[in-house]
Amino acid sequence: MAEVRPDEISAILRKQLSGFESEIDIYDVGTVLQVGDGIARVYGLSKVMASELVEFPNDVFGMVLNLDEDSVGCVLFGDSTFVKEGDTVKRTKRVASLPVGEKMLGRVINPLGIPIDGKGSINTDKIYPIERKALGVIQRQPVKEPLQTGIAAIDAMIPIGRGQRELIIGDRQTGKTAVAVDTIINQKHTHTEEAAKLGIKPVYCIYVAIGQKSSTIAQVVVKLKEHDAMDYTTVISASASEPSPLQFIAPYSGASLGEYYRDNGKHSLVIYDDLTKQAAAYRELSLLLRRPPGREAYPGDVFYLHSRLLERASKLSDDLGGGSLTALPIIETQQGDVSAYIPTNVISITDGQIYLESNLFNAGVRPAINVGISVSRVGGNAQIKAMKKVAGSLRTDLAQYRELEAFSKFGTDLDKITLRTLAKGERLVELLKQGQYSPLPVERQVVSVYLGTNGYLDSVPVHDVKRFEKEILEFIEVKHDNIFESIRNDKDINEEIINEIKKAVEEFLAVFKKTS
Amino acid sequence: MAETKVSTRYANSLLDLTSGKGNLQEISDDLELVLTAIRTSSDLRNFLESPIVKQEVKQSILSEIFRNKIKSDTLSFIEFIVEKNREYILSSIIEKFLELRDAKLGIARVEVKTAFDFTDEQKENLRKRLENIFSYKETHLSFIVDKTVLGGFIAKVGDTVYDASVKHQLEVLRKEFLKGNVQLN
Repeated sequence: MAEVRPDEISAILRKQLSGFESEIDIYDVGTVLQVGDGIARVYGLSKVMASELVEFPNDVFGMVLNLDEDSVGCVLFGDSTFVKEGDTVKRTKRVASLPVGEKMLGRVINPLGIPIDGKGSINTDKIYPIERKALGVIQRQPVKEPLQTGIAAIDAMIPIGRGQRELIIGDRQTGKTAVAVDTIINQKHTHTEEAAKLGIKPVYCIYVAIGQKSSTIAQVVVKLKEHDAMDYTTVISASASEPSPLQFIAPYSGASLGEYYRDNGKHSLVIYDDLTKQAAAYRELSLLLRRPPGREAYPGDVFYLHSRLLERASKLSDDLGGGSLTALPIIETQQGDVSAYIPTNVISITDGQIYLESNLFNAGVRPAINVGISVSRVGGNAQIKAMKKVAGSLRTDLAQYRELEAFSKFGTDLDKITLRTLAKGERLVELLKQGQYSPLPVERQVVSVYLGTNGYLDSVPVHDVKRFEKEILEFIEVKHDNIFESIRNDKDINEEIINEIKKAVEEFLAVFKKTS
Repeated sequence: MAETKVSTRYANSLLDLTSGKGNLQEISDDLELVLTAIRTSSDLRNFLESPIVKQEVKQSILSEIFRNKIKSDTLSFIEFIVEKNREYILSSIIEKFLELRDAKLGIARVEVKTAFDFTDEQKENLRKRLENIFSYKETHLSFIVDKTVLGGFIAKVGDTVYDASVKHQLEVLRKEFLKGNVQLN
């Protein structure tokens, strides 16, 4: 505890007061007419700007959303019980904004950039407005670098590129957050020196938690810390107990923070978990501001709400430094209904979606990705060549398997080819299962997908597939390390390496012990 | 809120009327008198706001009160307002009218809050200083004593506040402390 001496305080006061004569502060004010439900109507503030931050007494801040003929509608970012009718409201003359910079890494902040992790204040040089315009066509270039999620099913079949917007959609308890958190954890390798040598630029992550339980957010933070992922991650938290205006602006804050990295030629990944809750928060305050409700009581501009957010994801042109902002929005569906208002909106905005299904999850297929209907519309260009080569037939193999799977349930006698397709499919499904917090480096994914699609697993019993994969990868690492190295360095796979893999598999199959 | 819209409309039309007739000064003097009457007499306020009292009764009573004190133009305006059932916002119409008149004539109404009563000389000095800052033709100051200001003054013109009070300085200092910008060593 530092000691505070009264004479020091008076010295500071005197210093402050010495400039008193000249220091006339000029500010604009208004009066609160009505307050309640996190909304305040203010009379006055005649020169206020839309989405400007205004200051209420007791350090409560608000944002101007409605500019009416004779009053101003504000949303409150704090407790509305601290604001009374007749209170004075001050203009701050700046639109809602948050401090951005590298110092935000490893911190948990609220959507206004105020730290809530008890690690002291954050002093950054730059302040970005929360609402920024998305970039135009000239400033962009096509997505071309991969963003490895470390999840084999995604990296092989639904590849995500840097600058892409890929939706993660599914019912509750299907592992949506798990996919996102695994992706953050997998970015650890991009921060290593080895990655720098290979020309892989680091990806800075931002996890925006909207309307979640504080305990869930704390859990995510702990998991990220455990895997040393907090060093390059910022968590923006607008938990369920926060006022809805904070939940509404949280994703925009995340995007602004991500844009800081993008604009400085770096790469960032922003996860919005989840936008369903944000839409609900926006609906709440729109209704309180008496904007007319539309379908499902959402206001008319709920599409714009998400489109302007997701349009901010981008890959900058080389002239502008080539930075990128990748967005992984999450949407929670009810009972698998993707035709509800918000899911259809966000599906149409994003560059593809990853469907997670609860019946797959319950059947033990985890991550519970339905690869049949999951797509990535741009990521294919960003996939490394090696993966493109080996994963080409994976999707069709699985599609054939699913088709026959339903058919085989009739129990009729099946011909040999059908049985083989079924066996292969079963093993592929097994191969793509992956535990949580265990991302797989891309060179390992390439090898295991190669083994799966080329029938090397057919002789392995289904229940042994995971163990086989693990052991053979270890075997290759020890005995044939040049395979991994070559894939890592060249990002491609040639005849020579394929032959080497074949050799390694044959060696390994001879020693592999099957369990009965 | 609908109230201010309505009062603005009435006030504006009255202002247009007076500028046409050229009796702005007289009418505004009259209305100031009516406003003070409404402000000082709670009976009159209750009477105006009461929905039970009939229109005719209101008109006759109002004309009895103000007949010999104000111009017939002003009285007929008040009667017109009663006729339109807007007498409950009469005071807000008058306030709006005076505000619009000030804006038209370029008069600034400055509300000055001080911790203690200024001497006349101090008041005059302050008025001159403020006149230099503003671009108004005339500046009218009204003084309010508020102990919580502690020292200095707070001048308010419309929505803009010129704050030179000790209270505000302390508040700024408090915020500096909270931000951690001021370090004690």
